[in-house]
Amino acid sequence: MRKWGIVCALAASAALSACVQTKQYADPQFTLPQGSYKLLVLRPDVHVGSLTTGGMVEPRADWTEQARTNIIAALRAQQAALGGNLTIVERRNQLPGVAEQELADVERLNFAVDQSIVLHKYLGDYLPTKRGRGLDWTLGSDAVKLGEKTGYDYALFLHAEDSVASRGRVVLGVIGLAGCIVGFCAPNVGGAEQLDYASLVDLKTGEVVWFNVVDAASQVPGIKFGELRTPEGAAQMIERLIGRMKPGQAVRRAEAVR
Amino acid sequence: MCGHCLELTRRSLLAGGGAAIAAFQTGVANARVRPADMVPLVGPGFKPTDKDEQGLWEEMDRVEEEIAGSNLLVDDPKLSGYLRELIGTVGGPAAKDFRIYLARIPDFNAMMFPTGFAVVFSGLLLRMRNEAQLAGVIAHESGHFLRRHMIRSWRDQRRKTDIFSIGAMLAGVGGAGAGVYLGDYVQLAQLGTILSLFKYSRDMESEADAMGAKLIAEAGYDPMEASNVWLQLIGEEKASAAYRGKHRQRGSLFDTHPSDDARMADLRADALELKVPGRIYDNHRARYLATLGSFRQTLLDDQVKLNDPGASEYLIETLAQDGWDGLLRFYEGEVWRLRNRKGDDIRAAQSYAAAVVYPDAPADAWRWHGITLLKAGRTGEAKAAFAKYLTMKPNAPDAAWVRQMIG
Amino acid sequence: MKRFSTVALLAAALGISGCSSLGAGESGFSAYSAVNVHRTKVGNGNMTVVPPRPWNRHRAVLFDDVPAVEDWTLNGPYLDGVTFITGLKSGHFMVRQRRSTDQQVPKFRSDMTPPEIAAMLESLYRVRGGAVDFHTLSIQPRAFLGTNGFQFDYEHLDDDELWRKGRAVGAVVNGQLYLIMFDAARSHYYDAALPDFEAIVASARLRA
Repeated sequence: MRKWGIVCALAASAALSACVQTKQYADPQFTLPQGSYKLLVLRPDVHVGSLTTGGMVEPRADWTEQARTNIIAALRAQQAALGGNLTIVERRNQLPGVAEQELADVERLNFAVDQSIVLHKYLGDYLPTKRGRGLDWTLGSDAVKLGEKTGYDYALFLHAEDSVASRGRVVLGVIGLAGCIVGFCAPNVGGAEQLDYASLVDLKTGEVVWFNVVDAASQVPGIKFGELRTPEGAAQMIERLIGRMKPGQAVRRAEAVR
Repeated sequence: MCGHCLELTRRSLLAGGGAAIAAFQTGVANARVRPADMVPLVGPGFKPTDKDEQGLWEEMDRVEEEIAGSNLLVDDPKLSGYLRELIGTVGGPAAKDFRIYLARIPDFNAMMFPTGFAVVFSGLLLRMRNEAQLAGVIAHESGHFLRRHMIRSWRDQRRKTDIFSIGAMLAGVGGAGAGVYLGDYVQLAQLGTILSLFKYSRDMESEADAMGAKLIAEAGYDPMEASNVWLQLIGEEKASAAYRGKHRQRGSLFDTHPSDDARMADLRADALELKVPGRIYDNHRARYLATLGSFRQTLLDDQVKLNDPGASEYLIETLAQDGWDGLLRFYEGEVWRLRNRKGDDIRAAQSYAAAVVYPDAPADAWRWHGITLLKAGRTGEAKAAFAKYLTMKPNAPDAAWVRQMIG
Repeated sequence: MKRFSTVALLAAALGISGCSSLGAGESGFSAYSAVNVHRTKVGNGNMTVVPPRPWNRHRAVLFDDVPAVEDWTLNGPYLDGVTFITGLKSGHFMVRQRRSTDQQVPKFRSDMTPPEIAAMLESLYRVRGGAVDFHTLSIQPRAFLGTNGFQFDYEHLDDDELWRKGRAVGAVVNGQLYLIMFDAARSHYYDAALPDFEAIVASARLRA
């Protein structure tokens, strides 16, 4: 019933198991942004904490700062290599011409859309009408208005989370309806310590054209993936998350034919 | 014997020795924390220097940004200004640094975050009978901040915990792992549960009580109102539970406090100790109601529509102690209508009939009065009630349906 | 509104896996099945409708469902959905709930007027759906299933801070409630699927 990620064949083997999974979805017609495009990165959500022996994550401002700096630098470097023009907005009031409330509304709709994508594309509760059709969600005219007001071509929503000194986390189990009504009642995916996702919205159409989740779990303390506090680790995460962006199905088929 | 007792001041002796008696009443478990001992541990412009506290603050900044941008905030400048002034008065030395937000959530709750921003839920405003009570709650929360309870509690919990990342908790699913965590940081409506993050110990609550009482007394509010607040809350929770035939267990400000009677006794003792003879203390009820104005109907509406008849009934009756009016009678009717048990339709009809006698009866009272009359076969009277409804609210959302009923 | 139980189930299931199961993808068991463009029974089968294009129907999850109620969605329950209530009898609830729950959704009674039914739906959203604010936009008479029914338009703010908008068309037939309710994110999703909803309502028939 459940499919294992490709890389997770590793998990089946020996004691030192580790598991990194990514799976991208894209609009069939999606082509990688190229040439000189303007990319808006909205309020990257970065958290790094220290996992204490009791299993608590103690938030560490200094580590989070480091990670955020590294992620942003990695993002800039990666996008520069592709020729894009990147702007990162940290606070809602930093986008000229757009009211905070407007931006908040777009983010909230994006949240609901992203939840839906994860639920229906990644967690197995697929919608038959969307099966095999790549990514079929949109933010609608509010995102298009955002693009028109600001002149950006794409918006990237980014979340990165890491806790150092890995430990298995308690499985969510059944939290009860009350917990699940709130936002997203998400299963704790194994012993995930690094969970990053990104979604790319085309601001000309409002559509979510590309989505990826990187879930890096280490079952054994000491094995770390893409440690966000180091520039290399952050670059690795960005590369895994965004760098290996593939064009949509229809485009790939067309290219294969050529 | 309690060491404190030997430090009776002249002032408390002048208050008739009430303090000494009260101190013994609290029993062995907890000697009462004396307001006089409550000094702020934080001054104006405080910023943390410890790494873990800095980490906490950083997370809280993000939370505050989310809250400030929340759709659930009440956007009424009069109310916001009023709350700001209030916290400025009873917030102690840090008062000027505080931010205070009012959220449209019908729970009885108020909370102070470690970085000095407070969130008051609209349900609290409904339950406060006067300004002194509201000030008491705000001052209590300020007390937590001024005595650095949050960071102390956080550090305590490191030792014995099943709590996970702050991010997850703040995302509103307290106690569960982060899972696939998708951005929007805080669901404001669930903030109440989040505050289990800062489980204050009983001692801390006692400190906040004492500090709160002191702060409001210094500002000229009757400190006895602080203990009245808890009295009202407990009564409400009992009523709510009794309706369901079970023990009181709603998550609220006071979930972790078993000994409410002791707390109330302590607060009464505090009040006696704090009052300076000859000084005038006020509860500013009129000013409070004037500030709330028409928002009061919104508050009642939100509460009643939660369909918690035990609590709502208790609440309305408590508010009615200050006098029945059309608004309260109408919402009393609404409680019965929504409860919908045997005989409730008759009770509701009676309340609506009572409500429309008052000049301040809201338009909706006339519509529901009309519907109950219609069901009782009193068609002529029903039509008259509907007509009255339409004159009061010609563009009511259901005007089309009501017009059809009039024929 | 069925989204919670599904996700909770999934949570329990996936949590057991040693490695994360992001690759669960689009095969295997899904709580949704396709509804194609032809006449189909909904709820407890007393009513049939025809969708104008394929929709996704939520499979009944035994411990949460009331047989008279069925949910459909196009983009997922966070974004849009149509709920069918077919022949809900007097004295019954729309959702399963424990008597000891603090906040209750009221029972349907066959003598309810449209404002009372609207109030029952509002309770549903506030008490079970997590709505923190609810506005009734209009209640008006509307013919439905060959009888005098009503149309109820509303919007609500939920605790994920998103505004959603809805329209319910219903009637009480032989003392039982028949209702079709459409609820979607106010930004884009409501307008996008409203024509579908209207087509579904127009196609609704009672089975003899």
